Amino acid sequence: MVSAVSTSDLNLDLCAQEPIRIPGSIQPHGTLVVVDPESRRIVQASANAPALLGTRSGSAVLGLSLTELVGDSAERQITSWLNNPDSNYLRTLDIHGRRLQVLGHQTAQGIILEFEQPPQTEGETLEAYYPRVGRFMEDLPAYEDIADLCAAAAREFRQICGFNRILIYRFDDEWNGEVLAEDGDGVLPSYAGLRFPASDIPAQARELYRLNRLRVIPDANYVPVPIEPPLAKGGEPLDLSFAALRSVSPVHLQYMRNMGTLASMSISVLVDGRLWGLVSAHNASPRRVNAQARTACDLLGKVLSQHIGARQRGVYAAKRMELKQVESELLTQIAASDSFQNGLATHANTWLKIVGASGAAVLHDDVLLTAGVTPPEDRLRALAEKLHEQGSDTFVTDNLGTQWPEFADILDVASGVLAISISQLHSSYILWLRPEVERTVMWAGDPREAKQLDNERLTPRNSFASWKERVKGRAVPWSQAEVDGAVDFRIAIINFVLRRAEERAELTSQLQRSNRELESFSYSVSHDLRAPFRHIVGYTQLLRDREQSLSDQSKHYLDSINEAAASAGQLVDDLLSFSQLGRTALSVSPVDMQKVVQEIVRSVAPDVRGRQVEWRIQPLPPTNGDAALLRQALFNLVDNALKYSRDREPAIVEISGEQLASECVYTVRDNGVGFDMAYAHKLFGVFQRLHRMEDFAGTGIGLALTHRIIERHGGWIEARGVVDQGAEFRFGIPRKGASFDG
Amino acid sequence: MADLRPILLVEDNLKDIELTLAALAKCQLANDIVVARDGAEALDYLYSRGQYQDRLPGDPAVVLLDLKLPKVDGLEVLAKIKSDELTRSVPVVMLTSSREESDLVRSYELGVNAFVVKPVDFNAFFEAIQDLGMFWGVLNETPPRSAGSGIEQK
Repeated sequence: MVSAVSTSDLNLDLCAQEPIRIPGSIQPHGTLVVVDPESRRIVQASANAPALLGTRSGSAVLGLSLTELVGDSAERQITSWLNNPDSNYLRTLDIHGRRLQVLGHQTAQGIILEFEQPPQTEGETLEAYYPRVGRFMEDLPAYEDIADLCAAAAREFRQICGFNRILIYRFDDEWNGEVLAEDGDGVLPSYAGLRFPASDIPAQARELYRLNRLRVIPDANYVPVPIEPPLAKGGEPLDLSFAALRSVSPVHLQYMRNMGTLASMSISVLVDGRLWGLVSAHNASPRRVNAQARTACDLLGKVLSQHIGARQRGVYAAKRMELKQVESELLTQIAASDSFQNGLATHANTWLKIVGASGAAVLHDDVLLTAGVTPPEDRLRALAEKLHEQGSDTFVTDNLGTQWPEFADILDVASGVLAISISQLHSSYILWLRPEVERTVMWAGDPREAKQLDNERLTPRNSFASWKERVKGRAVPWSQAEVDGAVDFRIAIINFVLRRAEERAELTSQLQRSNRELESFSYSVSHDLRAPFRHIVGYTQLLRDREQSLSDQSKHYLDSINEAAASAGQLVDDLLSFSQLGRTALSVSPVDMQKVVQEIVRSVAPDVRGRQVEWRIQPLPPTNGDAALLRQALFNLVDNALKYSRDREPAIVEISGEQLASECVYTVRDNGVGFDMAYAHKLFGVFQRLHRMEDFAGTGIGLALTHRIIERHGGWIEARGVVDQGAEFRFGIPRKGASFDG
Repeated sequence: MADLRPILLVEDNLKDIELTLAALAKCQLANDIVVARDGAEALDYLYSRGQYQDRLPGDPAVVLLDLKLPKVDGLEVLAKIKSDELTRSVPVVMLTSSREESDLVRSYELGVNAFVVKPVDFNAFFEAIQDLGMFWGVLNETPPRSAGSGIEQK
């Protein structure tokens, strides 16, 4: 596994405690004074100030006025800056006959002035650097790739500052620094392609680098010069965060010596306010850089930062555009699907492509659908449960095993996880997965030895020889564009779900409305349509009773009227029971089907009187359901069997049943006229008849009713027939545990 | 044997009235048949008011009550009869075209004595009416109105 990188917490703590902003001392290549902003007198000074600035060599400087310290001419220049201090001050001034570089900046504790003697070797002015920097800036747009850009910049930095080696490195998400570009004269070893562990630069130092972009250490063997008195106005130590001469941590100096570099300069590369990386200049021997060259490097650093930012934004924008197209394609496909989950599953390739994943899963309403390569279902559910506990909308890792070690078993396919929550309440997620990609990282020295405690003193590692580490359990990291794409997609999906819910609510209320209309319609039918048929039947009967001398023909007419009205009335009754069936709740209880069948056989007995009927009734398993409805369903089948076998001598009606693991299946078979299987699909429709009315009377609702009853029990029904050889109806009712829709 | 109190038929449809009367006539009941054409009229009869303020005192042997009626519908008449101490003991038979379960349930909740769906088949209809007339009109004993509350309390 990875992260041998991590130094122990102890070491990090010790580093973090170092007073890097308030070291109480400066480096000896210059001198520092603090001027009180009101009195304009010197209130603090480095111990070497008298030597460099004393009017007579060695005389005290504390308490002097600024004029007394630097003379009239220099004082006027500094004062004019102080009256209009829009930036930090940098000038080469004549002070008591010496040319000194003066840097000024203002702090809450006073005006800090730093004085340096320019290095003997260099006399270049800032203007001298201008044409070089200008040419470089013109060349920059040609470098499309960030590594090329950095390589060009490294060459340029070295030209300006003359150090033996320039490294430009980028921080990764864990603040390890990866060397992207290097330029050197061969004096120092090459670190190209190596990585420096995050602990080389502690968090507080990184924060300081963000604020103060440039640091110089001309000689790692320097002896610090204390500031006197140590405490500034207000009783606090002097804050040297923005002082160029700030003395650095002894651990860092040891680090430099271990690396074989006695001089260094580093320039921060900031992109969008974040510390992106560093330009790090090293020299084997002590080396000073004059203030003008530092300013030129600072400018170069800014230019580099902006170009890197622009390249990154360009890459990001292009990637976002590309992903956005995939997203809109996917959303279109989802919109055409009945649910977003099915939309995703059906268009798995687009789904994976939207963030460049190799596996994906969606968990919603407890249904899990997957695409590509994924871990087993129970592990995905466990992962979703864990995400739900964390409660964040978006979860991103390329390193699941380190984050949540309990998922070590699925790292081969899910080292990288990008998850978005699609419901606040439930454990509903869309997940994208990336497999483990084993890779090799070359460290600049064994990162486990990055810092060690040696006799209570913190010491950095002393070997920077490249050290190879195989990194496991890691996926290719998700880019910002991919993560942002996923966040966008989350919003789109949530909108989609909400819109679907609204549509469904609207549809439900429409259905409820039309259901109510249907109810009141059938209520009216039940009352008003039935009555006239009753009346017709009643009056024809009265007429027949009253007129004893009717001719046979007249009697036949009356009988026909009677029959027609009676069958119309029956039709209304059947239709009503059919429509009622959809509306009333099932009353479910155990049903003894044997008894039900016996009772049916008894009730049809009067109708088959005079016919030769052979009943073959096998033992029937009991079931669960609505007894009255199941009786009706079975009655219709038996009634049919008798009806269509009435010409047979004997008519055979066979009723059997069997109990299976998940359901009970019942069969009613007859030896009647049968039917053509070509029309089997029409059997169960309302008003569907396969025989002529005069052959077999009936309203055409019986089988539809039976079908609906079985359906409401969560069961199935099928029919088989052969013309002139009989028909067979089988239906299944689920056993306990199955749900009814009632 | 009860004394032959009248049967109150509450029905708005003239054809239903005619057929029901024919059926009742066929079983040769001696009871008078009083026909009320809507719910309001039925209540007037029961409470001896309006056009019935001068009628002979006494409750009907049975009320044959159609469900759908103008003005005050059958369920309202039933509710009124069964909620009033004075009329609670009068037998009420719902006689209706409706096969709606909800009507049936509601009627029994309100305390109906019987609920009969008028069959389309005329002979069945005749038999039903005759049975009803015979049972409620002749055989059934009802407590005297004054004693009604006493029996309820036993």
